[in-house]
Amino acid sequence: MLRVKVEVVKRFSLGVHLLLVVILVGFFAFPFYWILVSSFKPTEELIRAKPTFIPETFTLAHYRNLLRVSEYPSYLRNSTVVGLLTAALSTFLAFLSGYSIYRCEYPGKRIISTFVISSYAVPTTLLTVPLYSLFARAGLINSLWSLVLVNVTLTSPLGVWLLKAFLSSVPKEVEEAAMIDGASRLRIMFQIAFPLIFPGVAAVAMFSFVTSWTEFLFANIFIMNEFQKTLPVGIARFITQYNVDWGLLMAGAVLTSLPPVLLFAFFGKSFIRGLTSGATKY
Amino acid sequence: MERRNAIFGIVLVVPLLLWLVITIGYPLVLCVKLSFLNVEFIGEIGSFVGFSNFVEVLKEDILWFSLLKSLVWTIGNLLLQTGLGFFAALVLNVNTKATRFIRSWVVLPWILPTVVLAIMWRWMLSGTFGVINYLLIRLGLVSAPINYLGSVKEAMGALVFINSWRWFPFISVLLLAALQSIPQELQEAAVIDGANGMQVFRYVTLPALRPVMSVLGVLGPLLTFNVFDVIWMLTQGGPSKATYTVPVLIYERGFKAFAMSEAATVSILSFVFLLVFVAVYLKLTRLNVGEYMEQ
Repeated sequence: MLRVKVEVVKRFSLGVHLLLVVILVGFFAFPFYWILVSSFKPTEELIRAKPTFIPETFTLAHYRNLLRVSEYPSYLRNSTVVGLLTAALSTFLAFLSGYSIYRCEYPGKRIISTFVISSYAVPTTLLTVPLYSLFARAGLINSLWSLVLVNVTLTSPLGVWLLKAFLSSVPKEVEEAAMIDGASRLRIMFQIAFPLIFPGVAAVAMFSFVTSWTEFLFANIFIMNEFQKTLPVGIARFITQYNVDWGLLMAGAVLTSLPPVLLFAFFGKSFIRGLTSGATKY
Repeated sequence: MERRNAIFGIVLVVPLLLWLVITIGYPLVLCVKLSFLNVEFIGEIGSFVGFSNFVEVLKEDILWFSLLKSLVWTIGNLLLQTGLGFFAALVLNVNTKATRFIRSWVVLPWILPTVVLAIMWRWMLSGTFGVINYLLIRLGLVSAPINYLGSVKEAMGALVFINSWRWFPFISVLLLAALQSIPQELQEAAVIDGANGMQVFRYVTLPALRPVMSVLGVLGPLLTFNVFDVIWMLTQGGPSKATYTVPVLIYERGFKAFAMSEAATVSILSFVFLLVFVAVYLKLTRLNVGEYMEQ
Protein backbone atom coordinates (compact mmCIF):
# COMPACT_ATOMS: atom_id res chain seq x y z
CA MET A 1 0.00 0.00 0.00
CA LEU A 2 2.71 2.44 1.06
CA ARG A 3 4.76 1.38 -1.95
CA VAL A 4 1.93 2.35 -4.28
CA LYS A 5 1.50 5.67 -2.54
CA VAL A 6 5.19 6.53 -2.91
CA GLU A 7 4.97 5.56 -6.57
CA VAL A 8 1.96 7.84 -7.12
CA VAL A 9 3.67 10.77 -5.40
CA LYS A 10 6.77 10.18 -7.49
CA ARG A 11 4.80 10.07 -10.73
CA PHE A 12 2.94 13.19 -9.72
CA SER A 13 6.05 15.16 -8.90
CA LEU A 14 7.70 14.04 -12.14
CA GLY A 15 4.63 15.31 -13.99
CA VAL A 16 4.77 18.65 -12.19
CA HIS A 17 8.46 18.90 -12.97
CA LEU A 18 7.85 18.20 -16.63
CA LEU A 19 5.24 20.94 -16.68
CA LEU A 20 7.70 23.39 -15.10
CA VAL A 21 10.36 22.44 -17.66
CA VAL A 22 7.88 23.11 -20.47
CA ILE A 23 7.02 26.52 -18.97
CA LEU A 24 10.71 27.39 -18.65
CA VAL A 25 11.54 26.35 -22.20
CA GLY A 26 8.54 28.24 -23.57
CA PHE A 27 9.59 31.31 -21.63
CA PHE A 28 13.14 31.50 -22.95
CA ALA A 29 12.76 29.87 -26.35
CA PHE A 30 9.45 31.19 -27.70
CA PRO A 31 10.81 34.68 -28.56
CA PHE A 32 13.54 33.03 -30.64
CA TYR A 33 11.00 30.90 -32.45
CA TRP A 34 8.82 33.92 -32.99
CA ILE A 35 11.40 36.12 -34.72
CA LEU A 36 12.57 33.16 -36.78
CA VAL A 37 9.12 32.33 -38.18
CA SER A 38 8.24 36.00 -38.54
CA SER A 39 11.27 36.55 -40.75
CA PHE A 40 9.91 34.02 -43.26
CA LYS A 41 6.36 35.40 -43.45
CA PRO A 42 5.34 37.76 -46.24
CA THR A 43 4.52 41.26 -44.95
CA GLU A 44 0.80 40.77 -45.47
CA GLU A 45 0.79 37.75 -43.16
CA LEU A 46 3.22 39.39 -40.74
CA ILE A 47 0.92 42.29 -39.83
CA ARG A 48 -2.31 40.35 -39.70
CA ALA A 49 -4.35 41.00 -36.54
CA LYS A 50 -4.57 37.28 -35.85
CA PRO A 51 -0.98 36.00 -35.91
CA THR A 52 -0.21 32.65 -37.50
CA PHE A 53 1.92 30.42 -35.31
CA ILE A 54 3.08 28.39 -38.29
CA PRO A 55 3.68 30.45 -41.44
CA GLU A 56 1.09 29.88 -44.21
CA THR A 57 3.41 31.15 -46.91
CA PHE A 58 7.16 30.89 -46.78
CA THR A 59 9.30 33.62 -48.32
CA LEU A 60 12.94 34.69 -48.38
CA ALA A 61 12.05 38.16 -49.66
CA HIS A 62 13.05 39.95 -46.45
CA TYR A 63 16.50 38.39 -46.49
CA ARG A 64 16.97 39.36 -50.12
CA ASN A 65 15.91 42.93 -49.34
CA LEU A 66 18.25 43.10 -46.41
CA LEU A 67 21.27 42.10 -48.46
CA ARG A 68 20.36 44.26 -51.43
CA VAL A 69 18.70 47.39 -50.15
CA SER A 70 20.45 48.18 -46.88
CA GLU A 71 24.09 48.75 -45.96
CA TYR A 72 23.95 45.38 -44.27
CA PRO A 73 27.02 43.85 -45.98
CA SER A 74 29.20 46.75 -44.87
CA TYR A 75 27.87 46.57 -41.28
CA LEU A 76 28.54 42.87 -41.32
CA ARG A 77 32.13 43.33 -42.48
CA ASN A 78 32.86 45.99 -39.84
CA SER A 79 31.38 43.93 -37.01
CA THR A 80 33.39 40.91 -38.08
CA VAL A 81 36.66 42.85 -38.24
CA VAL A 82 36.13 44.45 -34.84
CA GLY A 83 35.00 41.14 -33.33
CA LEU A 84 37.97 39.17 -34.58
CA LEU A 85 40.54 41.78 -33.54
CA THR A 86 38.90 42.11 -30.14
CA ALA A 87 38.84 38.35 -29.66
CA ALA A 88 42.51 37.97 -30.62
CA LEU A 89 43.83 40.81 -28.47
CA SER A 90 41.60 40.16 -25.51
CA THR A 91 42.39 36.45 -25.43
CA PHE A 92 46.12 37.14 -25.70
CA LEU A 93 46.08 39.66 -22.84
CA ALA A 94 43.84 37.45 -20.70
CA PHE A 95 46.07 34.43 -21.25
CA LEU A 96 49.22 36.33 -20.26
CA SER A 97 47.61 37.83 -17.17
CA GLY A 98 45.74 34.70 -16.21
CA TYR A 99 48.97 32.72 -16.39
CA SER A 100 50.67 35.36 -14.30
CA ILE A 101 47.95 35.60 -11.64
CA TYR A 102 47.15 31.91 -11.29
CA ARG A 103 50.55 30.39 -12.08
CA CYS A 104 53.26 32.71 -10.76
CA GLU A 105 54.15 33.96 -7.30
CA TYR A 106 55.03 37.57 -6.61
CA PRO A 107 54.19 40.26 -4.06
CA GLY A 108 51.17 42.47 -4.83
CA LYS A 109 49.34 39.79 -6.78
CA ARG A 110 46.15 40.14 -4.80
CA ILE A 111 46.04 43.89 -5.35
CA ILE A 112 46.55 43.37 -9.06
CA SER A 113 43.76 40.84 -9.40
CA THR A 114 41.40 43.06 -7.40
CA PHE A 115 42.31 45.98 -9.65
CA VAL A 116 41.65 43.94 -12.79
CA ILE A 117 38.20 42.77 -11.74
CA SER A 118 37.23 46.18 -10.30
CA SER A 119 37.33 47.62 -13.78
CA TYR A 120 33.73 46.44 -14.04
CA ALA A 121 32.77 48.80 -11.23
CA VAL A 122 33.38 51.81 -13.47
CA PRO A 123 30.16 52.70 -15.30
CA THR A 124 30.54 52.47 -19.06
CA THR A 125 28.51 55.65 -19.51
CA LEU A 126 31.16 57.42 -17.43
CA LEU A 127 33.83 56.35 -19.88
CA THR A 128 31.98 57.65 -22.93
CA VAL A 129 32.70 61.35 -22.47
CA PRO A 130 36.44 61.19 -21.64
CA LEU A 131 37.15 58.39 -24.14
CA TYR A 132 35.46 60.38 -26.85
CA SER A 133 37.70 63.36 -26.22
CA LEU A 134 40.76 61.11 -25.91
CA PHE A 135 40.01 59.37 -29.21
CA ALA A 136 39.13 62.65 -30.92
CA ARG A 137 42.60 63.95 -30.06
CA ALA A 138 44.21 60.71 -31.23
CA GLY A 139 42.27 60.83 -34.50
CA LEU A 140 40.51 57.55 -33.74
CA ILE A 141 36.93 58.74 -34.17
CA ASN A 142 35.34 56.92 -37.12
CA SER A 143 38.05 54.29 -36.88
CA LEU A 144 37.24 50.69 -36.05
CA TRP A 145 40.33 50.63 -33.82
CA SER A 146 38.54 52.84 -31.30
CA LEU A 147 35.99 50.05 -30.87
CA VAL A 148 38.66 47.36 -30.57
CA LEU A 149 40.40 49.40 -27.86
CA VAL A 150 37.22 49.67 -25.78
CA ASN A 151 35.96 46.15 -26.42
CA VAL A 152 39.21 44.61 -25.17
CA THR A 153 38.77 46.61 -21.98
CA LEU A 154 35.23 45.32 -21.61
CA THR A 155 36.21 41.69 -22.14
CA SER A 156 39.73 40.89 -20.96
CA PRO A 157 39.13 41.21 -17.18
CA LEU A 158 36.38 38.61 -17.30
CA GLY A 159 38.62 36.59 -19.62
CA VAL A 160 41.25 36.35 -16.89
CA TRP A 161 38.60 35.10 -14.51
CA LEU A 162 37.26 32.58 -17.03
CA LEU A 163 40.73 31.06 -17.46
CA LYS A 164 41.11 30.44 -13.75
CA ALA A 165 39.31 27.10 -13.67
CA PHE A 166 41.30 25.83 -16.64
CA LEU A 167 44.72 26.98 -15.45
CA SER A 168 44.29 25.52 -12.00
CA SER A 169 43.39 22.15 -13.52
CA VAL A 170 46.83 21.84 -15.19
CA PRO A 171 49.03 19.86 -12.77
CA LYS A 172 52.11 21.78 -11.67
CA GLU A 173 54.16 18.59 -12.21
CA VAL A 174 53.65 18.73 -15.98
CA GLU A 175 55.29 22.12 -16.13
CA GLU A 176 57.99 21.18 -13.62
CA ALA A 177 58.96 18.17 -15.68
CA ALA A 178 59.35 20.36 -18.76
CA MET A 179 61.42 22.80 -16.79
CA ILE A 180 63.78 20.06 -15.68
CA ASP A 181 64.14 19.11 -19.34
CA GLY A 182 65.42 22.62 -19.88
CA ALA A 183 62.40 24.24 -21.54
CA SER A 184 62.15 28.01 -21.07
CA ARG A 185 59.26 29.62 -19.17
CA LEU A 186 57.83 31.07 -22.37
CA ARG A 187 57.98 27.73 -24.12
CA ILE A 188 56.24 26.01 -21.22
CA MET A 189 53.57 28.65 -21.25
CA PHE A 190 52.81 28.55 -24.97
CA GLN A 191 53.66 24.98 -25.94
CA ILE A 192 52.51 23.09 -22.86
CA ALA A 193 50.00 25.14 -20.85
CA PHE A 194 48.28 26.78 -23.84
CA PRO A 195 47.22 23.56 -25.62
CA LEU A 196 46.15 22.03 -22.31
CA ILE A 197 43.77 24.88 -21.50
CA PHE A 198 42.66 25.43 -25.08
CA PRO A 199 38.92 24.97 -24.30
CA GLY A 200 39.25 27.82 -21.83
CA VAL A 201 41.08 29.98 -24.33
CA ALA A 202 38.37 29.29 -26.91
CA ALA A 203 35.71 30.27 -24.36
CA VAL A 204 37.45 33.59 -23.73
CA ALA A 205 37.73 34.22 -27.47
CA MET A 206 34.05 33.40 -27.92
CA PHE A 207 32.98 35.65 -25.05
CA SER A 208 35.10 38.51 -26.42
CA PHE A 209 33.80 38.12 -29.94
CA VAL A 210 30.18 37.97 -28.82
CA THR A 211 30.52 40.98 -26.51
CA SER A 212 32.12 42.97 -29.29
CA TRP A 213 29.45 41.81 -31.74
CA THR A 214 26.77 43.08 -29.35
CA GLU A 215 28.38 46.33 -28.18
CA PHE A 216 26.21 49.36 -28.94
CA LEU A 217 27.00 52.33 -26.67
CA PHE A 218 30.54 53.07 -27.86
CA ALA A 219 29.94 52.00 -31.44
CA ASN A 220 27.07 54.47 -31.54
CA ILE A 221 29.19 57.36 -30.28
CA PHE A 222 32.60 56.78 -31.87
CA ILE A 223 31.46 55.99 -35.39
CA MET A 224 29.50 58.51 -37.41
CA ASN A 225 30.60 57.51 -40.87
CA GLU A 226 27.95 55.27 -42.45
CA PHE A 227 30.53 52.92 -43.94
CA GLN A 228 32.32 52.25 -40.64
CA LYS A 229 29.16 51.46 -38.65
CA THR A 230 28.76 48.10 -36.97
CA LEU A 231 25.69 45.87 -37.13
CA PRO A 232 23.96 46.86 -33.87
CA VAL A 233 24.19 50.56 -34.65
CA GLY A 234 23.24 50.09 -38.29
CA ILE A 235 20.18 48.06 -37.48
CA ALA A 236 19.09 49.96 -34.37
CA ARG A 237 18.19 52.95 -36.51
CA PHE A 238 15.43 51.00 -38.18
CA ILE A 239 13.70 50.18 -34.89
CA THR A 240 12.50 53.65 -34.03
CA GLN A 241 11.69 54.75 -37.55
CA TYR A 242 8.12 55.89 -38.07
CA ASN A 243 7.37 53.38 -40.81
CA VAL A 244 8.94 50.19 -39.58
CA ASP A 245 9.60 47.47 -42.14
CA TRP A 246 9.07 44.59 -39.74
CA GLY A 247 10.05 41.87 -42.17
CA LEU A 248 13.39 43.52 -42.85
CA LEU A 249 13.96 43.95 -39.11
CA MET A 250 13.16 40.31 -38.41
CA ALA A 251 15.58 39.12 -41.07
CA GLY A 252 18.23 41.48 -39.69
CA ALA A 253 17.64 40.20 -36.17
CA VAL A 254 17.95 36.57 -37.22
CA LEU A 255 21.16 37.10 -39.18
CA THR A 256 22.68 39.22 -36.41
CA SER A 257 22.08 36.56 -33.79
CA LEU A 258 23.38 33.70 -35.91
CA PRO A 259 27.13 34.10 -35.21
CA PRO A 260 26.77 34.30 -31.41
CA VAL A 261 24.39 31.34 -31.38
CA LEU A 262 26.66 29.21 -33.59
CA LEU A 263 29.75 30.09 -31.55
CA PHE A 264 27.87 29.22 -28.43
CA ALA A 265 26.92 25.85 -29.85
CA PHE A 266 30.63 25.05 -30.18
CA PHE A 267 32.21 26.69 -27.15
CA GLY A 268 29.29 27.16 -24.78
CA LYS A 269 30.21 24.27 -22.49
CA SER A 270 33.73 25.55 -21.73
CA PHE A 271 32.39 29.05 -21.32
CA ILE A 272 29.91 27.92 -18.69
CA ARG A 273 32.58 25.87 -16.97
CA GLY A 274 34.84 28.92 -16.71
CA LEU A 275 31.99 31.12 -15.58
CA THR A 276 30.75 28.83 -12.85
CA SER A 277 34.06 27.63 -11.43
CA GLY A 278 34.07 30.45 -8.89
CA ALA A 279 30.55 29.66 -7.85
CA THR A 280 31.15 26.02 -7.07
CA LYS A 281 33.88 26.31 -4.47
CA TYR A 282 32.06 24.68 -1.61
CA MET B 1 65.07 31.43 -9.30
CA GLU B 2 62.38 32.81 -7.00
CA ARG B 3 63.17 36.29 -8.19
CA ARG B 4 63.18 35.35 -11.86
CA ASN B 5 59.82 33.72 -11.36
CA ALA B 6 58.44 36.88 -9.78
CA ILE B 7 59.78 39.10 -12.55
CA PHE B 8 58.34 36.75 -15.17
CA GLY B 9 54.91 36.94 -13.53
CA ILE B 10 54.95 40.72 -13.33
CA VAL B 11 56.08 41.14 -16.94
CA LEU B 12 53.14 39.00 -18.06
CA VAL B 13 50.52 41.05 -16.27
CA VAL B 14 51.89 44.47 -17.22
CA PRO B 15 50.33 44.68 -20.73
CA LEU B 16 46.80 44.22 -19.39
CA LEU B 17 47.42 46.66 -16.54
CA LEU B 18 48.70 49.28 -18.99
CA TRP B 19 45.72 48.70 -21.24
CA LEU B 20 43.30 49.17 -18.35
CA VAL B 21 45.11 52.25 -17.07
CA ILE B 22 44.89 53.88 -20.51
CA THR B 23 41.27 52.99 -21.24
CA ILE B 24 39.81 53.23 -17.72
CA GLY B 25 42.26 54.95 -15.36
CA TYR B 26 43.08 57.89 -17.60
CA PRO B 27 39.46 58.51 -18.67
CA LEU B 28 38.48 58.48 -15.01
CA VAL B 29 41.00 61.23 -14.27
CA LEU B 30 39.90 63.13 -17.36
CA CYS B 31 36.29 62.85 -16.26
CA VAL B 32 37.08 64.32 -12.86
CA LYS B 33 38.99 67.12 -14.58
CA LEU B 34 36.07 67.82 -16.95
CA SER B 35 33.69 68.11 -14.04
CA PHE B 36 35.67 71.10 -12.72
CA LEU B 37 35.80 72.86 -16.09
CA ASN B 38 33.11 74.45 -18.24
CA VAL B 39 33.54 72.48 -21.45
CA GLU B 40 30.58 72.21 -23.77
CA PHE B 41 31.74 70.78 -27.07
CA ILE B 42 34.45 68.18 -27.28
CA GLY B 43 37.79 69.79 -28.00
CA GLU B 44 37.17 72.99 -26.07
CA ILE B 45 39.79 73.83 -23.48
CA GLY B 46 37.38 75.35 -20.96
CA SER B 47 38.26 77.16 -17.77
CA PHE B 48 38.31 76.12 -14.16
CA VAL B 49 34.97 76.71 -12.46
CA GLY B 50 35.49 74.95 -9.15
CA PHE B 51 32.49 73.13 -7.77
CA SER B 52 29.94 75.16 -9.68
CA ASN B 53 29.05 72.25 -11.99
CA PHE B 54 28.29 70.10 -8.99
CA VAL B 55 26.24 72.85 -7.36
CA GLU B 56 24.29 73.42 -10.59
CA VAL B 57 23.67 69.75 -11.30
CA LEU B 58 22.64 68.92 -7.74
CA LYS B 59 20.08 71.72 -7.87
CA GLU B 60 18.41 70.25 -10.94
CA ASP B 61 15.21 68.29 -10.43
CA ILE B 62 15.98 66.02 -13.37
CA LEU B 63 19.01 64.54 -11.57
CA TRP B 64 16.92 63.38 -8.63
CA PHE B 65 14.14 62.32 -10.93
CA SER B 66 16.47 60.13 -13.00
CA LEU B 67 18.13 58.74 -9.87
CA LEU B 68 14.71 57.67 -8.65
CA LYS B 69 13.99 56.07 -12.04
CA SER B 70 17.34 54.28 -11.86
CA LEU B 71 16.52 52.93 -8.41
CA VAL B 72 13.15 51.63 -9.59
CA TRP B 73 14.86 50.11 -12.63
CA THR B 74 17.64 48.47 -10.56
CA ILE B 75 15.50 47.10 -7.76
CA GLY B 76 12.78 45.91 -10.13
CA ASN B 77 15.34 44.11 -12.25
CA LEU B 78 17.10 42.48 -9.33
CA LEU B 79 13.87 41.17 -7.83
CA LEU B 80 12.54 39.79 -11.10
CA GLN B 81 15.87 38.37 -12.31
CA THR B 82 16.63 36.68 -9.03
CA GLY B 83 13.13 35.25 -8.87
CA LEU B 84 13.27 33.89 -12.41
CA GLY B 85 16.88 32.77 -11.93
CA PHE B 86 15.96 30.80 -8.81
CA PHE B 87 12.98 29.23 -10.54
CA ALA B 88 15.08 28.12 -13.51
CA ALA B 89 17.93 26.86 -11.33
CA LEU B 90 15.60 24.78 -9.15
CA VAL B 91 13.80 23.31 -12.16
CA LEU B 92 17.08 22.49 -13.91
CA ASN B 93 18.67 21.07 -10.77
CA VAL B 94 16.62 17.90 -11.14
CA ASN B 95 18.60 15.48 -13.29
CA THR B 96 16.72 14.33 -16.37
CA LYS B 97 17.66 14.01 -20.01
CA ALA B 98 15.70 17.16 -20.87
CA THR B 99 17.22 19.33 -18.15
CA ARG B 100 20.77 18.26 -18.99
CA PHE B 101 20.16 19.42 -22.54
CA ILE B 102 18.51 22.71 -21.58
CA ARG B 103 21.15 23.62 -19.01
CA SER B 104 23.61 25.04 -21.50
CA TRP B 105 21.03 26.41 -23.96
CA VAL B 106 19.19 28.42 -21.34
CA VAL B 107 21.98 31.01 -21.62
CA LEU B 108 20.85 32.03 -25.12
CA PRO B 109 18.91 35.14 -24.10
CA TRP B 110 22.03 36.39 -22.37
CA ILE B 111 24.32 36.14 -25.40
CA LEU B 112 21.74 37.72 -27.71
CA PRO B 113 22.89 41.08 -29.17
CA THR B 114 21.01 43.95 -27.53
CA VAL B 115 19.76 45.17 -30.88
CA VAL B 116 18.13 41.79 -31.51
CA LEU B 117 16.67 41.85 -28.01
CA ALA B 118 15.17 45.24 -28.77
CA ILE B 119 13.73 44.22 -32.14
CA MET B 120 12.39 40.97 -30.72
CA TRP B 121 10.49 42.54 -27.85
CA ARG B 122 9.32 45.59 -29.73
CA TRP B 123 7.76 43.18 -32.19
CA MET B 124 6.25 40.86 -29.59
CA LEU B 125 4.95 43.71 -27.40
CA SER B 126 3.64 45.84 -30.25
CA GLY B 127 0.20 47.31 -29.60
CA THR B 128 -1.01 46.49 -33.11
CA PHE B 129 0.69 43.29 -34.29
CA GLY B 130 2.08 41.97 -31.03
CA VAL B 131 1.69 38.30 -30.25
CA ILE B 132 1.68 39.00 -26.50
CA ASN B 133 -1.34 41.27 -26.75
CA TYR B 134 -3.02 38.66 -28.90
CA LEU B 135 -2.40 35.91 -26.35
CA LEU B 136 -3.41 38.06 -23.38
CA ILE B 137 -6.68 39.02 -25.06
CA ARG B 138 -7.39 35.41 -26.01
CA LEU B 139 -6.80 34.39 -22.41
CA GLY B 140 -9.11 37.19 -21.27
CA LEU B 141 -6.43 38.85 -19.17
CA VAL B 142 -6.74 42.21 -20.90
CA SER B 143 -9.67 43.63 -22.85
CA ALA B 144 -7.90 45.87 -25.37
CA PRO B 145 -4.35 45.78 -26.76
CA ILE B 146 -1.80 47.72 -24.70
CA ASN B 147 1.08 49.60 -26.26
CA TYR B 148 3.48 48.62 -23.49
CA LEU B 149 6.57 50.51 -24.61
CA GLY B 150 4.60 53.59 -25.61
CA SER B 151 2.60 54.05 -22.44
CA VAL B 152 3.86 56.12 -19.53
CA LYS B 153 2.37 53.68 -17.06
CA GLU B 154 3.67 50.45 -18.59
CA ALA B 155 7.01 51.38 -20.19
CA MET B 156 9.24 50.93 -17.13
CA GLY B 157 7.65 47.60 -16.26
CA ALA B 158 8.06 46.39 -19.84
CA LEU B 159 11.74 47.38 -19.88
CA VAL B 160 12.39 45.69 -16.55
CA PHE B 161 10.73 42.56 -17.86
CA ILE B 162 12.78 42.57 -21.08
CA ASN B 163 16.08 43.13 -19.30
CA SER B 164 15.25 40.44 -16.75
CA TRP B 165 14.42 38.01 -19.51
CA ARG B 166 17.91 38.63 -20.80
CA TRP B 167 19.73 38.31 -17.46
CA PHE B 168 17.88 35.58 -15.57
CA PRO B 169 19.79 32.81 -17.43
CA PHE B 170 23.10 34.23 -16.18
CA ILE B 171 21.89 34.10 -12.59
CA SER B 172 20.34 30.68 -12.96
CA VAL B 173 23.54 29.19 -14.42
CA LEU B 174 25.57 30.44 -11.46
CA LEU B 175 22.97 29.31 -8.92
CA LEU B 176 22.65 25.95 -10.63
CA ALA B 177 26.41 25.38 -10.47
CA ALA B 178 26.34 26.10 -6.76
CA LEU B 179 23.35 23.80 -6.24
CA GLN B 180 25.07 21.01 -8.13
CA SER B 181 28.16 21.35 -5.99
CA ILE B 182 26.28 20.40 -2.83
CA PRO B 183 27.23 16.81 -2.01
CA GLN B 184 24.17 14.54 -2.14
CA GLU B 185 25.24 12.86 1.12
CA LEU B 186 25.03 16.16 2.96
CA GLN B 187 21.32 16.54 2.18
CA GLU B 188 20.63 12.88 2.92
CA ALA B 189 22.45 13.14 6.24
CA ALA B 190 20.37 16.16 7.17
CA VAL B 191 17.16 14.31 6.33
CA ILE B 192 18.23 11.29 8.36
CA ASP B 193 18.97 13.60 11.27
CA GLY B 194 15.31 14.60 11.10
CA ALA B 195 15.48 17.86 9.14
CA ASN B 196 12.38 18.76 7.15
CA GLY B 197 12.41 20.29 3.67
CA MET B 198 12.52 23.86 4.94
CA GLN B 199 15.37 23.07 7.31
CA VAL B 200 17.41 21.35 4.62
CA PHE B 201 16.95 24.43 2.46
CA ARG B 202 17.84 26.78 5.32
CA TYR B 203 20.88 24.93 6.68
CA VAL B 204 22.30 23.02 3.72
CA THR B 205 21.20 24.65 0.46
CA LEU B 206 21.36 28.32 1.40
CA PRO B 207 24.90 28.24 2.84
CA ALA B 208 26.07 26.66 -0.43
CA LEU B 209 24.49 29.51 -2.37
CA ARG B 210 26.00 32.22 -0.17
CA PRO B 211 29.24 32.79 -2.13
CA VAL B 212 27.39 33.17 -5.46
CA MET B 213 24.64 35.25 -3.96
CA SER B 214 27.08 37.65 -2.34
CA VAL B 215 29.03 38.13 -5.57
CA LEU B 216 25.79 38.60 -7.50
CA GLY B 217 24.70 41.00 -4.79
CA VAL B 218 27.47 43.42 -5.71
CA LEU B 219 27.77 42.67 -9.43
CA GLY B 220 24.03 42.75 -10.15
CA PRO B 221 23.30 46.30 -8.95
CA LEU B 222 26.43 47.65 -10.67
CA LEU B 223 25.66 46.04 -14.01
CA THR B 224 21.97 46.86 -13.85
CA PHE B 225 22.31 50.46 -12.74
CA ASN B 226 24.61 51.19 -15.68
CA VAL B 227 22.48 49.61 -18.41
CA PHE B 228 22.03 52.06 -21.24
CA ASP B 229 21.64 50.29 -24.58
CA VAL B 230 18.40 48.39 -23.92
CA ILE B 231 16.67 51.50 -22.61
CA TRP B 232 17.98 53.72 -25.36
CA MET B 233 17.02 51.40 -28.17
CA LEU B 234 13.52 50.73 -26.89
CA THR B 235 12.27 53.98 -25.38
CA GLN B 236 15.10 56.56 -25.47
CA GLY B 237 14.13 57.41 -21.90
CA GLY B 238 10.50 58.10 -22.80
CA PRO B 239 7.61 58.23 -23.14
CA SER B 240 7.49 61.56 -21.24
CA LYS B 241 10.67 60.55 -19.37
CA ALA B 242 9.01 57.46 -17.88
CA THR B 243 12.25 55.49 -18.31
CA TYR B 244 14.72 58.37 -17.98
CA THR B 245 17.47 56.72 -15.92
CA VAL B 246 20.85 58.21 -14.97
CA PRO B 247 22.79 56.70 -17.93
CA VAL B 248 20.21 58.19 -20.31
CA LEU B 249 20.64 61.57 -18.61
CA ILE B 250 24.45 61.36 -19.00
CA TYR B 251 24.17 60.41 -22.66
CA GLU B 252 21.69 63.16 -23.48
CA ARG B 253 23.70 65.82 -21.69
CA GLY B 254 26.96 64.80 -23.33
CA PHE B 255 26.01 63.84 -26.84
CA LYS B 256 22.64 65.51 -27.52
CA ALA B 257 22.82 68.75 -25.53
CA PHE B 258 26.62 68.97 -25.88
CA ALA B 259 27.26 69.86 -22.27
CA MET B 260 30.33 67.72 -21.68
CA SER B 261 31.22 69.10 -18.27
CA GLU B 262 27.71 68.58 -16.98
CA ALA B 263 27.66 65.04 -18.33
CA ALA B 264 31.01 64.36 -16.65
CA THR B 265 29.69 65.79 -13.39
CA VAL B 266 26.64 63.54 -13.43
CA SER B 267 28.83 60.51 -14.20
CA ILE B 268 31.16 61.30 -11.31
CA LEU B 269 28.20 61.70 -8.96
CA SER B 270 26.67 58.40 -10.04
CA PHE B 271 30.05 56.67 -9.76
CA VAL B 272 30.52 57.97 -6.21
CA PHE B 273 27.00 56.81 -5.40
CA LEU B 274 27.82 53.30 -6.66
CA LEU B 275 31.16 53.25 -4.85
CA VAL B 276 29.45 54.06 -1.57
CA PHE B 277 27.02 51.25 -2.22
CA VAL B 278 29.85 48.79 -2.95
CA ALA B 279 31.83 49.86 0.13
CA VAL B 280 28.82 49.44 2.42
CA TYR B 281 27.94 46.14 0.82
CA LEU B 282 31.45 44.70 1.11
CA LYS B 283 31.61 45.86 4.71
CA LEU B 284 28.28 44.23 5.55
CA THR B 285 29.00 40.93 3.82
CA ARG B 286 32.73 40.87 4.70
CA LEU B 287 33.38 39.82 1.12
CA ASN B 288 36.98 39.96 -0.05
CA VAL B 289 36.93 40.40 -3.80
CA GLY B 290 40.66 39.78 -4.28
CA GLU B 291 40.45 36.58 -2.32
CA TYR B 292 37.43 35.49 -4.32
CA MET B 293 39.32 36.07 -7.55
CA GLU B 294 42.26 33.99 -6.37
CA GLN B 295 40.89 31.23 -4.16
